[in-house]
Amino acid sequence: MFKKMTAGVMALTLGASLLAGCSSGGADDGKVTLELFSNKVESIDTYKSLIKEFEAQNPDIKIKLDAPPEAETVLKTRLTKNDLPDIMSIAGNATYGELGRAGVLEDFSGIDLTKTVQPSYIDMVNRLVGPEGEGTYGLPYATNANAVIYNKAKFEEHGLEVPATWDEFIASLEKVKAAGDTPIYFTLKDAWTGMIAWNSLGANVAGEDFAEKKNAGEATFVENYDEVADKMATLVQYGHKDNMGVAYGDGNNAFANGKSVFYLQGNWAIPEILKANPEMELGVFPMPVTNDPEQNKLVSGVDVLLAVSEETEHNEEAMKFVEFMMTKETAQKYIDEQKAFSAIEGVYQENPVFEGIKANFETGAITSFPDHYYPAGMGAENLVQEFLIKKDKEKFLKKMDSEWEKVQNR
Amino acid sequence: MNRKKTSWLVTTFLILGSLLILFPLYLTITIAFKTPPEMAGNLLALPKSWSFDNFAKAIEMTNFFNAFKNSAFVTIFVVIFTVLTNSLVSYAIARNLHKKFYKFLYFYFLSAMFIPFPIIMLPLVKQTSSWGMDNLVGLIILYIVFNLSFNVFIYIGYIRAIPVELEEAAIMDGASTWGVFWKVIFPLLAPMNATVAIITSLGAWNDFMLPLVLLSDREMATLPLVQYIFQGQFSTDYNLAFASYLMALAPMIIVYIFAQKWIISGVMKGSIK
Amino acid sequence: MKKKNSVFLIITIPAFLLFFIFHSYPALQGIFYSFTDWKGYGDWNFVGLKNYLNVFKDGRAGDAYLFTFKFAIVSTILVNIISLLVAIGLNSKIKFHKTLRAIYFLPYILSILIVGFIFNFIFAHFLPQIGDAFGWEFLTRNILGNPDLAWIGIVIVAVWQAVSFNTILYLAGLVTISEDLYEAASIDGAGVWTKFWKITFPLIAPFFTINMVLSLKNFLMVFDQIVALTGGGPGKSTESISLLIYRGGFEGGEFAYQSANAVIYFIVIIVFSIIQLKFLNKREVEN
Repeated sequence: MFKKMTAGVMALTLGASLLAGCSSGGADDGKVTLELFSNKVESIDTYKSLIKEFEAQNPDIKIKLDAPPEAETVLKTRLTKNDLPDIMSIAGNATYGELGRAGVLEDFSGIDLTKTVQPSYIDMVNRLVGPEGEGTYGLPYATNANAVIYNKAKFEEHGLEVPATWDEFIASLEKVKAAGDTPIYFTLKDAWTGMIAWNSLGANVAGEDFAEKKNAGEATFVENYDEVADKMATLVQYGHKDNMGVAYGDGNNAFANGKSVFYLQGNWAIPEILKANPEMELGVFPMPVTNDPEQNKLVSGVDVLLAVSEETEHNEEAMKFVEFMMTKETAQKYIDEQKAFSAIEGVYQENPVFEGIKANFETGAITSFPDHYYPAGMGAENLVQEFLIKKDKEKFLKKMDSEWEKVQNR
Repeated sequence: MNRKKTSWLVTTFLILGSLLILFPLYLTITIAFKTPPEMAGNLLALPKSWSFDNFAKAIEMTNFFNAFKNSAFVTIFVVIFTVLTNSLVSYAIARNLHKKFYKFLYFYFLSAMFIPFPIIMLPLVKQTSSWGMDNLVGLIILYIVFNLSFNVFIYIGYIRAIPVELEEAAIMDGASTWGVFWKVIFPLLAPMNATVAIITSLGAWNDFMLPLVLLSDREMATLPLVQYIFQGQFSTDYNLAFASYLMALAPMIIVYIFAQKWIISGVMKGSIK
Repeated sequence: MKKKNSVFLIITIPAFLLFFIFHSYPALQGIFYSFTDWKGYGDWNFVGLKNYLNVFKDGRAGDAYLFTFKFAIVSTILVNIISLLVAIGLNSKIKFHKTLRAIYFLPYILSILIVGFIFNFIFAHFLPQIGDAFGWEFLTRNILGNPDLAWIGIVIVAVWQAVSFNTILYLAGLVTISEDLYEAASIDGAGVWTKFWKITFPLIAPFFTINMVLSLKNFLMVFDQIVALTGGGPGKSTESISLLIYRGGFEGGEFAYQSANAVIYFIVIIVFSIIQLKFLNKREVEN
């Protein structure tokens, strides 16, 4: 028995050392390998094809793409480990602000590339870092639109028109519901999807500068978000029967298969929907949040910015890739495939799907994502998700205030 | 017990219960072979054709063989070195338990069993990465060291039951302490070594948390970690996802089918001592 | 004899050092940082007991403790009842004994994370399909989307997995009990119930103790199942302490704060384990 085991162990050891042998080979062929970290699952295929193109132009550089789930937790883990990826393609939100303040990202202030970006988006990311870090640590690349997507065929079937006010919006939801159809397909098993409506409501009702006021002690959720919470609670009444049980991926599929008329999502969901049903005709409009059409702005933020680690050993190569990404041709390709908008001057999204929000970009009727300015680690989306289940408004708003203060005080 | 009649009632209950265990696996296998349109129908139905397309796609997408190699590499080295070193340490402690230092060691290792991993997680991640150990070799070392606390506990019980006379006879024949251990004790520990090897290999093969926090290079990801990383990309292609899950589970299931009797008795023996 | 001593020291001292470096030292570091305001990077200051006081005031941490203990206690009890029943069943005279034993042990070899992903699909798609087909209203919604029920989904997966190992441990205990004892009891006119409480249970009591303690300890560290099933949601209703420390400690930049949480967690686990051992040992002696 023992002899047999020894033989087995020997065989295994031999096998393992062979395996180890082949894993260590082939690393040193003169190529520089860069790691590109992306927080977006939706853009993996686009990035892969862009990387292929870049590698063809630069045969001595190899780019490894990493787009893990819970990307921000992973990125923060790597920050703690002092092991940041060479290039980061991340959202312009509180995590970016924190990385900027931590001084671990290359400062792009004043370099030529920043001049190709629309100045308003540079301001937006600079504001995230705040006065403590001051600098442009990321180049705004793609921007997004937080909107209402609708199924055109169903829309016509119900005889609807694009609503311009909150009351009109509710009236159309009511009409769909009365006809026995599902108005909105919610995917609240993934907490973040609740933030789409929250951000549209919050930005237009409570104002863009809520976070600054909140930090200065001049505003609170209890005082300024009462109407937002009420309207959130109204919206979920127009969902399907399992609002909390369906996740984002399944929701994209369901919407693509005509399970509802409206879908509260960002432009990033459109490629996923079209993947599930390439024939589908979609429309988009900004969520009308108030009854004054003049006041209803589209929520748009920096969906992707490109940052380079301060400590990368291959700064030159990393910048080469960033420059490649920032060219007009690449930027155009990116937004065409991703159905996104570009932060780069002179690159426009011409897809007819976006007819309904084009005017907002042209006239500047745009406002930023309120939750990008919330302190990281506050977990606002889970609190909102909890509220949508329990509908305990007073308690919820108080909790939003106390969690915010708690995280700020640590 | 052999004199009793076969209890059909108990058999029936146990068979019904075993269906609860087999059902998720049945679902995994059938879904892994289906195509997305088939998912709209009855989920219990068998796939229309047994094509391996999903598997081929999953292998390519997740770089399955690389992950398999990583998992195998970690598991094999952890098992070998855990058995060799942990038994040796246990022997040294077991034969000196009357001395203060060794008694302290015994309780030191034992008490670590009750320290939950999350407590050491944050500083450990920091420490291992600053020492360049955030890779597979680091993972192997950590498993071997962490296994000590449980293994010392089960080895020592067994070693203390081995009569000291056996060793004394070997020493009379001129064997050194090393010789005594490798020639006399280690072979006698064979059943316990088997138990430790089984538990250790399952632990290393299936662990998720330590690879998650320790490994940042995706090329090093182990099989469970790969399933996690690709969650977003599987998205709603459950056929692809389940093909990938099935391949990640298969190596252990195959080993189990062939070595099932040996594995179960190994674990049982370990628990009696 | 002197030489022999030095050999033993050569063996044990490196083991001790390695264990100290990779286990105790990080633990001590964690305790140290829990008195600072360190984010995991950059500068830090001593803040005294501030983090500890904040943990006690932190509703999110409180909820995580409540959930974790509720989950762990219910799972521990269920696992031990079910696996004891299965073990008794497998130990009686049955058909297909070997096959059944092999099937019941099977979940032990599977990765918890992947099992979780499979069950996630079952909860999200298969059970609602059954619910629709038979008109069972309670099944038509994904229970993982219901904050009052999601924890039950996690218990189901945890129990499904853990029963296997505990069954084997109980089985190991049961096969050591001699058949003669039962026969003697039968002659005295003892029923099945009496036989269980007077013979079976006292003899496997040590196994019961170890199973209870180990299961509880494992369930208190629940992580994989939650990552695969709910990610802590809906709301924060299934956020376990391990998940909170991982998420808050890394993503939230609360390294020091979560270290304080971890220290408290450690103390709670130690206290719980000691109470449990005391209690179970006492009943073993009484029996």
